[in-house]
Amino acid sequence: MAFHDTLVYINSTVESISAQFIRIPGSAIVLRYVRSSYQNDPMRSFLELCLFLFAVRYFLASKYSFAKKDFIKLSTKEVDDLVHEWTPEPLVAPLDEVDQAEVDKIPVIIGISGPKVKLSTGKSVMNLASFNMLNLLGNEQIRERAIKTVRENGVGACGPSGFYGTQEVHIQTEKDISNFLRVPASIIYAQAFNTISSTIPAFAKRGDIIVADSAIGLAIQKGILISRSTIRWFQHNDMDDLERVLQQVHNDFKGQPLTRRFIVTEGLFENGGDIADLPKILELKYKYKYRLILDESCSIGVVGKTGRGLTEYYNIPATEVDMIVGSLATTMCAGGGFCAGSEYVVQHQRISGNGYVFSAALPGYLAATASEAMSIMQSSPEIFTQLLANTRAFRAIIDKMNYMYSPSDPDSPLIHLQLNPEVLESRKIDDEDKFLQDVVDECIANGVLISRNKVVPSQEVFPVESTLKIMITTGLTKRETEKAAAVVKAAVSKVMSKVPKIKH
Amino acid sequence: MPSNQTKLASLFAQAQAQIQLPSSGSATMNSTSSSPVAAEPPAPSLGIINYTSGASTNNLSPEEIKKRSMQFAPISHQSHRYIPHHPKGQPLSDPVEEEPPLFFLLTTYISYLILIIFGHVRDFFGKRFKKEKYFHLVQQNGYAPLTSDFDSFYVRRLKARLDDCFARPTIGVPGRYVTLLDRVTKDHCQTFSFTGTTTDCLNLSSYNYLGFAQSEGQCADAAEEVIRRYGTSSCSPRSVAGTTDLHIETEDLVARFVGKEAAMMFSMGYATNAAAFPSLVSKGCLIISDELNHASIRFGARLSGAVIKTFKHNDMTDFERLLREEISQGQPRTHRPWKKILVVVEGLFSMEGTMCNLPVLVALKKKYKYYLFVDEAHSIGAIGPNGRGVCDYFGIDPGEVDILMGTLTKSFGATGGYLAADKAIIDALKLANIGYVYAEPMSPPVLGQIEAALRTIIGEIVPGEGEERLQRLSFNARYLRLGLKRLGFITYGHDDSPIIPLMLYAPAKMPAFSREMLKRKIAVVVVSYPATPLLTARVRFCVSASLNKDDLDTILRACDEIGDLLMLKFSSGTGMEHGEKPRWKVEDVIRKGVMDAKRDVL
Repeated sequence: MAFHDTLVYINSTVESISAQFIRIPGSAIVLRYVRSSYQNDPMRSFLELCLFLFAVRYFLASKYSFAKKDFIKLSTKEVDDLVHEWTPEPLVAPLDEVDQAEVDKIPVIIGISGPKVKLSTGKSVMNLASFNMLNLLGNEQIRERAIKTVRENGVGACGPSGFYGTQEVHIQTEKDISNFLRVPASIIYAQAFNTISSTIPAFAKRGDIIVADSAIGLAIQKGILISRSTIRWFQHNDMDDLERVLQQVHNDFKGQPLTRRFIVTEGLFENGGDIADLPKILELKYKYKYRLILDESCSIGVVGKTGRGLTEYYNIPATEVDMIVGSLATTMCAGGGFCAGSEYVVQHQRISGNGYVFSAALPGYLAATASEAMSIMQSSPEIFTQLLANTRAFRAIIDKMNYMYSPSDPDSPLIHLQLNPEVLESRKIDDEDKFLQDVVDECIANGVLISRNKVVPSQEVFPVESTLKIMITTGLTKRETEKAAAVVKAAVSKVMSKVPKIKH
Repeated sequence: MPSNQTKLASLFAQAQAQIQLPSSGSATMNSTSSSPVAAEPPAPSLGIINYTSGASTNNLSPEEIKKRSMQFAPISHQSHRYIPHHPKGQPLSDPVEEEPPLFFLLTTYISYLILIIFGHVRDFFGKRFKKEKYFHLVQQNGYAPLTSDFDSFYVRRLKARLDDCFARPTIGVPGRYVTLLDRVTKDHCQTFSFTGTTTDCLNLSSYNYLGFAQSEGQCADAAEEVIRRYGTSSCSPRSVAGTTDLHIETEDLVARFVGKEAAMMFSMGYATNAAAFPSLVSKGCLIISDELNHASIRFGARLSGAVIKTFKHNDMTDFERLLREEISQGQPRTHRPWKKILVVVEGLFSMEGTMCNLPVLVALKKKYKYYLFVDEAHSIGAIGPNGRGVCDYFGIDPGEVDILMGTLTKSFGATGGYLAADKAIIDALKLANIGYVYAEPMSPPVLGQIEAALRTIIGEIVPGEGEERLQRLSFNARYLRLGLKRLGFITYGHDDSPIIPLMLYAPAKMPAFSREMLKRKIAVVVVSYPATPLLTARVRFCVSASLNKDDLDTILRACDEIGDLLMLKFSSGTGMEHGEKPRWKVEDVIRKGVMDAKRDVL
C-alpha cells in the first residue's frame, strides 16, 4: 500500500509540476523542441542534455580556474606558519669589494663637461668619454638660446604632451628635425634611451615578426621584449645571414595570415662603432616586404657630411627608412629623443607611444637647444670635416698599437678598442674588464679621460664584448688628439707589461 | 574709473610685497613697501649655485609685476592657508565613492554602444568605398597594415571626435595662467590650423602643484646660472662620464629631503620606473601591484621578468588575501618559495586623487616581509605638512619604506625622476640600473631648478616662501574640493589631495565640459578609457599653489553653470560630512568655503 501511495504521490507531484511548467511563458517552445529532437532516440536527447549542462558549467565557472589547477588548499594555521618561515632574499645584494671599487671609480666632473675637464680628484684631463663630439656644449649661441627659452617658458613643461605639455618650442623643434632629415614628420620624446622602447611597441604587437641585428643596443632589445612580437636574430652586420633569416621567416609563415614585419638595426652601433650596410638592408627590405626601424641614436649629428646620419652617409633619401629613431642628447648636447617618418607613423605615436603619452614633455629649453644645434650643423658643416680629421689622426696612431684593435668603422668618431684574440691566448688575463679598467685608470693618471664600454650584462640578450670606448671631439686640436692617442697606446703597453705570459 | 585703479594698485602693491616677503604679515608688508631700496642681504651660497634670495625684485615695473602674477598669484588673504594634519600613523579611511543614478549609467552604456556601432559601420563602408582614407588599415601590396583597425578603433572613433580637447599647444610658462595658441579645425579634428592669436586660461591642468613653473625668481635664476656654468648637458651616461659635482650635490639634497641615505636621479620620470624594476627583481620574484598603478610601473614590471599580480585599488583586505595566498602557494607549478616580493603602490594616484594606505602597508610589511616601493610621482612636494610626500603626511619614518621613487616634473617644475634608498642599495643600482648605465643623465639646468625649489621648500633660501606655497596648495585643494562637493558634483579621492577628479560618466560630456570651460577661459584635462575604467570618464583638476581664492571662485562659478548645463550634479550627498545636503547655491559655497575647508572631519 505504501508503495502505491508513493506512486500516487509522485504522479501528482509530476502532474502539478508539469502544470506549473506549462504556465511559464515560452515553455511550449521548449517542450516542442524536446519532442522534435527526441525522435525516438533517447541517446540523442541525453547528448543534448549533456551539452546543455556543459554550457551551463562553462558559463558559471570562475574566470581563472585554470590558474588554480595546482592550488593547494591550506588551513589558516598552515598559511601563518609558511608566512612565518618565509625568508626573502635581500632586495639588492650588497656589493663586493671589486664592485664597490668600480662604483667609487665612476668619474665625477667638476663644472662643465667640455673637452677638457677637471675631475673631483683634482686632476685635469682631456675628455674622450663624452658625446660632445662637435664641442657644441658651452657654445655661446646655444647657451643664449637656452637661457632665453628658460626666461620664456620656465624649466619644465609640467605636463604630458597630450595635456597642455606641448609648447610652441616643441612644435618648432619637431619641424626642424623633419627639415634637417628631410622627412615629412617627427615626434620628440623626453628621453633618448626611452624613445625606441616606445616606438617599437607602438607598432609591433603580439604575432608580428621582428628581425633584428644581434648587436643592437639595450634600449632596442627592451622595446622588442615589451612588444611581445616574434623575434628572429641575424648575425651582426652579416647581410647573407639577414637574407637567410628573412627567407626562413618567409618559409615558416607561408600560408598564415599576413602580420607586420620589421627589420630593426642600428645605424652606428653603440657597442662597436661599426656602421650598418643600409643599401643592402633596404634592398632586402623591399624584396621581402619588411618595414625598417633604424636606430640612429649614435649616428645623427655624427655620421654624414652634415651630420644627417646614415642616410646621408650612403646618399639615400631618409624617406626610404620607415622609422628613424635618434637622440638629441648626443652631439646636440640637448636631451630627449625623436622618431622621424611619415605623417601617419608620427601621428600614431602621439596616441600610442607609451613614453610620449604617459610622460611629461621634454623641457622647452632642451628642445630649443637641439634646434639651435641643428642650425649650427647646417650652417657650418666644416665641423664634421674637422671631426673626421681628428678621428683619422687618432686612428692613425691607435691602429698601429700592439695587443688591441678597433672593430669600429675607420671614419667613426666613436671608437671601440678590443683585445686581440691572440693576446687573450698568450697572456694570463683572467678578467678582461679588470684589465681594461686598469688601462682607463692609467689613461686618467696621464691626463686622458676614456671609459670602458659599460653595460649591465644580466640585462643584455647576447654577451657584449669588453671594450674601451673612446669618443673623438673637435674641442681638442689635432695635436691634442694625437697626444691622447699616444697616451692610450702607452697605457695599454704599460698595463700589459704587468700581465704575465702563459707558458706553453 | 578711479575705484578700479585703486583696486589694481593695491593688487600690485600686494603682489610686490608677496614677492619680497612671501610669508610676512601685514605689518612687515607696510615696512617693506615704505623702504623699497633696503640693503640687499648677501646671496646665500649653500653649495655650487649662488642664490638670488628674491631681494633683487625690489624695483619692478607694473608690467613685470603683472607678468609675475600671471605665473603665480598673490595670495588674496593670509587666512587662505592650511597645514594638513593627519593623526600620526593612523590608517587612512577610504573616501566615499558615490555611484551616479542608474539613468546616467544606462545612458553612458548606450552612448558607447552607439559609438561602437557607428564606428564599425563607417569602417565597413569606408574600407570599401574610401580606400585612400583607410590605406593604413588595409593590406597594401604584400605589407600588413601598419596598425590594426581593432587596436586603433577607440582612438579613431572616439578620441578623434574630441581631439580639440587634447594636446592644445601652449606658449610660455604653464603657471597660474597657461597661454594657449588658438587653433581651428575645418575637418573634424583631423588637422588644425593656428589663428595666430592666443588665450590666457586659468590653469587647472598642469602638474604645477607648488607653482614653481615660473620664468622669474630663484628657480629660473638658478637654471640660468647653471646654463652659464655647466651648459645644457653632461653628454654621457652617468656611469661613464656624465656625473658632475652638481649631480652629486642635488642627489644628496633629494635624499635629505625625502629622508633617505642616498638617491639617484634620471632624466625622465617615466623612464625612472621603466628602468627601476629590472634591477630590483627578476625571474622567480613577485611584484604585487595596485591595479591602478601608472603605465610606467607596468612597463618596468614587465621588463623585469618577475611575475606580476594586482590587487584591487587601495583595498587592503584584498591585498592581504593575495599576499597570504602567494606566500603560501609559492611560485606557479613548482611551488618553490618566491625569492622576494616587491609591493608597488603610488603615493597619490594621478587619476583617482586617492592616497595609498601607507600605515597599513607598513604594518603588514613587518608580518609578511615584503619590500615596499612607493611611487611618489604626484605626492612628493604636494602632500604632507612639509611637502615631503606620503611618509610626511602619515608621520611615518621614511626608513620603513625600502624604495621611495618620485618625479621632479610635478611639484618642482622641473623634469625627471629619482630613486631614494639606503646607500648600499643605491650603490648597487649604480652598476645594475639601466637608466644609470645607458641613458642620458639629467640636464644640469634642471638640477639648478630642482635645487632652488627644494631649498625654497626646506626654507634655506627665500625664508617663508616654501611654507606659503605648501600651505596655499593644501588650502586650495580642500577649498575647491569642498566647493565642488557642495555644488553637487561627484568627486573622487581624499580631501587633502591636490588632484580632484570630477565625474562626467557619459563620453559626450567630456568635450562639452572641456569646451565650455575653455569658453570661460579655464584650461582643464578630460580623461576616459583607457586611462580610467570605461564608465567613469572624468575631468581632472590639478590644483596649484599659484592660484588664489579669487581664481578658485571663478572656477567654482564656471563649474556651477556648466554643471547645470550638462546635468552633472548627481551627488546624493553620501560623501558629504556633517550631514550636509548637496546642491548649494554657488554664492553660499563661496561665502562659507574658507572657514569650512579648514575644519576637520569628525
